[in-house]
Formats: sequence, C-alpha cells, structure tokens
Amino acid sequence: MEITVKTIGGTEKEYIEIGCHRKDERVDEIIRFIRSREGILKGTKEDRQYNIPLPDILYIEAVDEKTFIYLEKDCYESGRRLYEFESALISRNFARISKSVIVNLMKINSIKPSLNGRFSCVLTNGEQVIISRKYVPDIKERLKGGSV
Amino acid sequence: MKEHLRTQLAGFFISVTLINVAMFVLGIMLQPDYRFGYEAFAYPLIYGVIGSVPGLVMYSKKELTVWQTLIREFIQMVLIVALIIAFMFGRFHITREYVPQIIGVSLSVMIIYVLVHVFSWLMDLKTASKMTEDLKAFQAKASGEK
Repeated sequence: MEITVKTIGGTEKEYIEIGCHRKDERVDEIIRFIRSREGILKGTKEDRQYNIPLPDILYIEAVDEKTFIYLEKDCYESGRRLYEFESALISRNFARISKSVIVNLMKINSIKPSLNGRFSCVLTNGEQVIISRKYVPDIKERLKGGSV
Repeated sequence: MKEHLRTQLAGFFISVTLINVAMFVLGIMLQPDYRFGYEAFAYPLIYGVIGSVPGLVMYSKKELTVWQTLIREFIQMVLIVALIIAFMFGRFHITREYVPQIIGVSLSVMIIYVLVHVFSWLMDLKTASKMTEDLKAFQAKASGEK
C-alpha cells in the first residue's frame, strides 16, 4: 500500500483520504485508529463497553447519580462524574451549559430563546438542550472569543 | 442570581415604560378630566417596583421545566395584579363605582405583564441570533475552514 503525505496551507482544512478497492475490515481499522486520535470516551451500553469518538458526542448529561453520553441515535452510560468530563473536555470544543449538561459546540445547529431568560441549543439531530441563565454569559464569551 | 437580577431589572424598565402608556390610555378612558401633580411621575416607578417584587421573591435556583415556568409565571402575574390593586384601592372603601377601574387596572397589569415578556423574548431572540452567528464562526474556526 502506497502512503502519500501532502503538506497543505495553514488556511486549508486538514483531511485524510483513503484510496481503496473496497471498504473492508482493514480500512475500518484504519478509520477507527484515526478517530481514536481525535479523542475517545469509554461508555457502556447493555453491559458492553464501547469507545466513543469525541466528535460523535452530542452532549453529556448527569441524571441523578448517573452520567449519560448522547450520540445522534445512541446513548451510553459512564462511571465518570460530569465535573470530570468538564475539566477534560473544555479544550475540546465542549462547554458546560447547565448544572447537568455539557454540550459539544460542534454539534449545535442554532441557538434560540427559551422561557425565563434561558436559551435552547438545537442540536444536529433536532434534539434541544437548555442553556441555563447562569451559563449564558460564559457561552457568549466562549463563542465570541472563538477560543478553540 | 446575578443573571436573574439582570433579567428583573430589564423587566422593570420595560414595565415602567408600559405603565406610563397604560396610565395614559386608562386615564383618557376612565377619568379624562382628572389632573395630577408632580407625584404622578413617581407612580410608574412605584408600580414598576411593586411588579418586580414577586419576581425577586419567586427566584428559584432549580432549573424549571417549561410547564413549571409557565405555572410560576401565571402565579407571579396574579400576585402582581393583587399587589397593584391593593396598593391603588386598598385605602378606599370599595363600592360599585370602583369595579370598572379595578377591572381596567387588572387588565392593564396583565397586558403589561405579557408585553414585558414579549419584549424580553424579542431581545433574547436578537441575542440568540448573534450567538448563532458567533457559533458558526467558532465552528468554522475549529474545523479549520477559516
């Protein structure tokens, strides 16, 4: 297999392209490796543990004593606390938007007003999560500053 | 709490403006010949403060659901109507003559309450639109498009 590395300009979006005759297990393995380099979280579902790539996560929510990781269609449970996720993911385009939710900023389609001075994030799967009043100034600052 | 106070303060100023309008409209309709002194300038401010009290008292640290918020808003509105009526007519012996005035004031308070929320929502709509704009720029920057 020939490997080509091309240096591109700083303004261009970085990409990885795989040229293959068919997408088989070997290609899937390469994809999994590349995605794991973007960061993963461990989550469990029906007693099985899964590696969840960070870019696939929509939001993380704490309900009672449990923490759940939400993807487009799936939901996984995690043994980690929300504050642990917050400190680990703050530099990865995630932000705390309420007492119980951390959202992936890259998965928000739009923001709209909700009741009582709160705002609502419309996610890429159509789901909505609330930005509580307390976190609105922080989110505004984070988005305005563009700290990535 | 800071954000809640800011929201209440914005509500207060919108209320004062709308109370001025309501006093003008109700005055023209119910007592067009009545004349006031300088104290009339203080009334919108006093009513604005009275209208803000239930909002401050009913502050909740808990994140309320949409229904809980709506119920709370309704209770708040009833409390404001009761406080304003008590302040305006409490010292009088209520007779039938006062009934149209009480109804007029109650309706005005309710309309103002709804309008304050509509104006606040419109301001939030503008903020949300700016936040969405910033979000798109953030996402473009994060994904290396800019």
